[in-house]
Amino acid sequence: MERLSPQAIIDSFRKELGGGFVNGWVYEREVAVKKNKFRSLWVEVKKDAFRDAVKHVFSLQEYPHFVIISSSDLGGEVELIYHFTVYYGHHLEELSLGIRVKLPKSDLSIPTITDLIPGAIFMERETQEMMGVKVVDIPDGRRLFISEDVPEGVYPWRKDETGPQKLLRVLPGREPKRADKKG
Amino acid sequence: MAVGETKKATYTIPVGPIHPALKEPVQLVLEVDGEKVVNTDVRAGQVHRSIEWLGMNRNNPVQTIYLAERICGICNICHPFCLVMAIEQAANIAVPDRAEYIRVIAAEMERIHSHMLWAGVAAHEIGFDTVFYFTWRVREEIMDLIEYVFGNRVTKAALQFGGVRRDITAEQLPRIRQSLEYYKNIFEQLRRIFLEDKTVQARTRNVGVLSTEDALKLVTVGPSTRASGVPKDVRQDQPYSAYADLDIKAITPDIITGMVVGDVYDRIVVRLLEVKQSVEIIEECIEKMPEGPTMSEPKMPRLLRLLTAAEGEGVARVEAPRGEDIHYVRLEAGQETMSTWKVRAPTYANLMAVPTILKGMQIADVPITFASLDPCMSCTNRIAITDRATRRTSVLDYEELHRLSVEKTKELQR
Amino acid sequence: MNLKIFNRALWVYHMNTGSCNGCDIEILAVLTPRYDVERFGIRLVGSPRHADVLLVTGPVARSMEDSVRRVYAQVPDPKVVMAVGNCGIEGDVFHEAYSLVGPIDQIIPVDVYVPGCPPRPEAITYGVVMAWAKLEQLAKQAKQEVA
Repeated sequence: MERLSPQAIIDSFRKELGGGFVNGWVYEREVAVKKNKFRSLWVEVKKDAFRDAVKHVFSLQEYPHFVIISSSDLGGEVELIYHFTVYYGHHLEELSLGIRVKLPKSDLSIPTITDLIPGAIFMERETQEMMGVKVVDIPDGRRLFISEDVPEGVYPWRKDETGPQKLLRVLPGREPKRADKKG
Repeated sequence: MAVGETKKATYTIPVGPIHPALKEPVQLVLEVDGEKVVNTDVRAGQVHRSIEWLGMNRNNPVQTIYLAERICGICNICHPFCLVMAIEQAANIAVPDRAEYIRVIAAEMERIHSHMLWAGVAAHEIGFDTVFYFTWRVREEIMDLIEYVFGNRVTKAALQFGGVRRDITAEQLPRIRQSLEYYKNIFEQLRRIFLEDKTVQARTRNVGVLSTEDALKLVTVGPSTRASGVPKDVRQDQPYSAYADLDIKAITPDIITGMVVGDVYDRIVVRLLEVKQSVEIIEECIEKMPEGPTMSEPKMPRLLRLLTAAEGEGVARVEAPRGEDIHYVRLEAGQETMSTWKVRAPTYANLMAVPTILKGMQIADVPITFASLDPCMSCTNRIAITDRATRRTSVLDYEELHRLSVEKTKELQR
Repeated sequence: MNLKIFNRALWVYHMNTGSCNGCDIEILAVLTPRYDVERFGIRLVGSPRHADVLLVTGPVARSMEDSVRRVYAQVPDPKVVMAVGNCGIEGDVFHEAYSLVGPIDQIIPVDVYVPGCPPRPEAITYGVVMAWAKLEQLAKQAKQEVA
């Protein structure tokens, strides 16, 4: 497969997904003395077009490198970013690609991608237990890091009432910090 | 029951979570058929210290550098390095060139010390305790150098947003060159001990094989994936900091052995060659380091105000000694803590390969195979074997498992 | 120091309750030829049932609390417990985390504290020698009670 330029990759997503494509941009930065370029791409898609977007990454490289799923709590919705990289193995050629999906808190579910990438199982389990996003058709939905005696419904990465406020261990002689620390 | 027709039952052996020799606890539940491992279930979570929650809710970003250092005591330059790069991307802070080179020197020194540590542990698992003591004595040389340059052996707090906290002066350079000479001279001895010994080859050849296709599908990272022939190295592919000026090639085992098998022996080859590569990189950096300031914003209150007012997101990837490390950060204007912080350490990705490489192995090979992935987690203490047919439970402790591994070595040497 | 009652080597069992490994590698560095604590007769064993001194590192994670209690019960008397590293002593950077059940002395009684993050190998050796002195005292008391 020939290697496309960053802008050509974003245009190919736009063409492939049609209405499911929301936005896409390239971030560039110069590094060190020789001023080579560090580039990362971001593509935002709608939830229905999400699996097609992931399949389209496979058309860029046969085995893309999947890094992690990061999630942010933005108040009324949760944004998931699936970090991929393509074109590894060659000097200065690799590009980071982030596929972003916004999910409303009333309907937190996303289809699994473990049939395309078997190595995504730990990341999906972690997102499920830490953020409360339900991954549909996950082959193994057990808890990964949180121990069994923490009750269900406590999601540490959330900023709302489902956070682990009650489980904090504050030692004698110390005081807990206030929730929205400003100064 | 006719002759030749047996009812095969698989036994389940839980292994872990406390290891007497070192590192972090993890529990492996092995399903065993006779002496061979059929399936493995990895149960992590014994070291979950809620670091991301602390970074998002309790700390300001400068305090989070010191928290990120304590994610792992062995690789404790790579996590602050990654965090600092991500926030510099989000808040648009420039870094002077001299600071970039000093960061790279720190990262490469850490790689040498981590690989020496691993080599000692691997030798201990095979049963060569003398090699364990020898390698750790060799490692003390780099620890002395780290203390001389950065001030402390393990947790150094060398990095800061916009630069580094300490400079490398011209008087320190002769001492650095002396240590690098020591490593160049001792490399030949290490190569003979690890790569030409017949017993090491017998214990590690064709053990714990991870094929190239599996390595690609399970997205493994670091020396474990380079040993399987996949040339992924962040320093080569998407260079960051001063690596963008150097020309680094990912090391695969066919440089020395001429073929790629993906077993434990190949992982030893890759790590030893990387020590040599690190020595060469440090030398090159010392030659090429430009003059200039080491911090772009030395006053702390101004830095904190800058970070509180910043808004944006940043993602940074670093090649730690164990693989690729990524941090994702999101900053919001007016808020002192980070809004989102996601860390993915390299062992997280490599753990998914454990069931594949342990399949078909004997129980005595489990310690060395698991340790060859260089997990920042440890293995066994108690093994309880339950005989499903008769419901008898017998308990083996770590000494038994280690004894099995050492006995196998002695048998091979006979 | 009069170390007459213990006429054999001191056996140490090391347990990690979820630490970052910084203290653990300094503990192992204590055994290596540079600091060489084996010349005093101190060695690391693989089972708590053979140990005299229990060396604990790390802030205790929730899933490890049970293991810590069980291992403490398995070490035979007279025994001494050492807490190495700041997070085991009072939490250090992790003091408000939701997944930790507090410093080690909330779970098992601790006799010797070695502060530092991580403590230097010389400090750990000094701590082990203090533990040895305390063990002598305990053994002498036990002997006097029997006599």
